[in-house]
Amino acid sequence: MKPEHRHKVLLIDDEPPARQIIRDFLKSYPGLEIIGEYADGFSGLKAIQELKPDLVFLDIQMPKLTGFELLDLLDEPPVIIFSTAYDQFAIKAFEMNAVDYLLKPYSKDRFSQAVDKAIISLGAGNKEVESVKKIIETVEEEPDLLARIAVKIRHKVHVIPVREIRYLEADGDYVTLHTERDKFLKEKTMKYFEKHLDPERFIRIHRSTIINIDFMDKLEYYDKESYAVLMKDGTMLKASTSGYKVLKEALKL
Amino acid sequence: MQHPVFKSTGSILIYFGTWILLAGIQFIILVFQYHFPLEIALADALVFNLLFGLIGLPMWFIVRYTAPSSKNLFNIVFNHLTSLVLLLVIWFGLAYSILSLLFHDETVYNDFLTVSVPMRVISGVLLYLLLGLTFYLLIYNYNLQEKLKMEARLNTLLKESELNMLKSQINPHFLFNSLNSISSLTVTNPEKAREMVIKLSDFLRYSVSSGAGSLTSLAEELENIKRYLEIEKIRFGDKLVYELNVNPQCVEQKIPVMILQPLYENAIKHGVYESTDQVLIETECNVSSGCSEIRIINDFDPDAIPRVGAGVGLNNIRERLRLTYYRDDLLKTRKEGNRFYVELRIPDETLNQLT
Repeated sequence: MKPEHRHKVLLIDDEPPARQIIRDFLKSYPGLEIIGEYADGFSGLKAIQELKPDLVFLDIQMPKLTGFELLDLLDEPPVIIFSTAYDQFAIKAFEMNAVDYLLKPYSKDRFSQAVDKAIISLGAGNKEVESVKKIIETVEEEPDLLARIAVKIRHKVHVIPVREIRYLEADGDYVTLHTERDKFLKEKTMKYFEKHLDPERFIRIHRSTIINIDFMDKLEYYDKESYAVLMKDGTMLKASTSGYKVLKEALKL
Repeated sequence: MQHPVFKSTGSILIYFGTWILLAGIQFIILVFQYHFPLEIALADALVFNLLFGLIGLPMWFIVRYTAPSSKNLFNIVFNHLTSLVLLLVIWFGLAYSILSLLFHDETVYNDFLTVSVPMRVISGVLLYLLLGLTFYLLIYNYNLQEKLKMEARLNTLLKESELNMLKSQINPHFLFNSLNSISSLTVTNPEKAREMVIKLSDFLRYSVSSGAGSLTSLAEELENIKRYLEIEKIRFGDKLVYELNVNPQCVEQKIPVMILQPLYENAIKHGVYESTDQVLIETECNVSSGCSEIRIINDFDPDAIPRVGAGVGLNNIRERLRLTYYRDDLLKTRKEGNRFYVELRIPDETLNQLT
């Protein structure tokens, strides 16, 4: 194989020995060239966007961004071989979507199997967009409440703590997250946020609005039979009849 | 429950001693009130009282098997009336026969025996009540003691199982990642791989071998922490740095086994896992006013937002300390800039040590 046909490989894992073993195992694949190693989700994401690798070895638990959060921010994900030590939800997500993954520690045979499969899909020019989307969807079934949300504006990634979100508004296929300083678009559904935000604090007052009651000022009559929430920053948000009921319950009125 | 009179020689002596005491009182009355000759008074007092004492012994079984809670009142009253009548007839019949045989030519005394029948019946009823109540009291007391013992045992069991729940379990994430590091090192640095296998084995042995309620010395607990940190150092390389400053006066301090482990696990999780910079974990142990003070300080990235909420680990430790020392002011945490402080105080004397 000529050098220019070699596939570019990135390693993203926060543990040096974990990257070392991949480097060792890849020695028998002259067609694969390691073009970079990264130890956290942030720099890993940046590297994927800039270096456009063909194949990425991706760990799940990492500083700054997890492997899944990173994946969620990629528009055109490369072929990915996941690795994780112990994460029941991750494993479930992989199994449900027939994606290849390595459970640490793994044997050379198991590693080769995964790499051979990846090379085949590289040759076929398969794009992984669909499978990646499905994995993310499966991971989102995880019942954990979110503490942070990663969003991307152009090539810049912002990690927003959910406690700083004042309210969320539906906007077509997106949801706008309003914080003190800014607003961010995230390609997710209202249903997703309703499920993954602390229900004690985030109340869906309308089909297209979720508010953080910490930033709420008062509840007012909007017109006959309907109400509006006035936020501390002056924003007025309409509440539906059912939304009003939920809000009243949350405020223990 | 055994018959209380036959429990020991002492209890037999007390029982019959009491009857002899009652006989003594009767003897005095017969001599000074009724002016009977000494031998007649003595025989009368002893025969009546000791006989009651003997015939009264089986009463225990009636009391025992008519515990007030188990049967209805009618049954109890009926049982006792029957046994009372039976006891009085046997008692008085026997005593009367013996005494009238012994003193058949003493007309004054024989008349007295006949005249005193109502009085003797009344005293018999009173003695019956007294003996019955004493037996009931003994049963009540016995049951109470048993209940208290049971409760104490139940509490210990509960406490033990609670402690077991709270004791930190080996984190599978840590375990599998460490094994992966070993797998990697076998190629590049077999010597270090072997070292790590040994460290990991010692760490696992320490974690699984001790019960949740048991205590160990601070020196041993810190030895295990060192193993843990060394393993993590192999995983994360220079990203993790640690320092131990231990006052030699503290090392013999007894502390609950594996109580420090979750604190270091936290420091690693929120420090090393979430940071891209070097993280220093410092440990200081000092003695102050009857307590050993252990302070763990770790760097963390204040901008890092944990993926999910934390605090379970710290709460578990608090609960364990509460169950061991009956205090809930032993663990304190605070943040200062990018440093996280955990302060743990271990009281010198250990109350209510388990196992």
